[in-house]
Amino acid sequence: MEHEKRRALLRKLQEVDFVLVELNLYLDTHPSDLDALDQYNHCALEREAIRSEYEERYGPLMHFGHSSNRYPCGWNEGPWPWEI
Amino acid sequence: MKKRKPNPYRDQYRVWYPFHSPDDPCPPIAKQYVVPPNQFLGFQPPNLPQFSKHEALIKGTLWPIFYSPYPPKKWRDKDGT
Repeated sequence: MEHEKRRALLRKLQEVDFVLVELNLYLDTHPSDLDALDQYNHCALEREAIRSEYEERYGPLMHFGHSSNRYPCGWNEGPWPWEI
Repeated sequence: MKKRKPNPYRDQYRVWYPFHSPDDPCPPIAKQYVVPPNQFLGFQPPNLPQFSKHEALIKGTLWPIFYSPYPPKKWRDKDGT
């Protein structure tokens, strides 16, 4: 059951990331579109919430300072996000 | 039935028929290619309708107007959508 919850959380993170990528590309050419800007900022905050929830529960997602590590369930052990 | 004007955002496939000579042993073929919807939309207008987050990840685009599934041959019906 825990495995399913972890996968669902990762899926949510992927979905928000995809929306952020799309909006980012859109905002490159439409900097003045304030609605998209609001949506982008809102999604960025939402992503931050999902990321922190995931890392609190299952460990770091990224390296090199983008995520805090910990012991015992650090990045040395895994499972890594792509192994789930 | 009046032939409806093809909607470029839905009927993205176009067909062309290479020359088939009488001496050609193989049957004539119909080649199909996709003209993606972004060709018909110049500068993207603001506030276009959007998919939900879940659906956007599955469909591969945030805006339904750009959805271009490129279905494999066997799933395509005659006119290619």
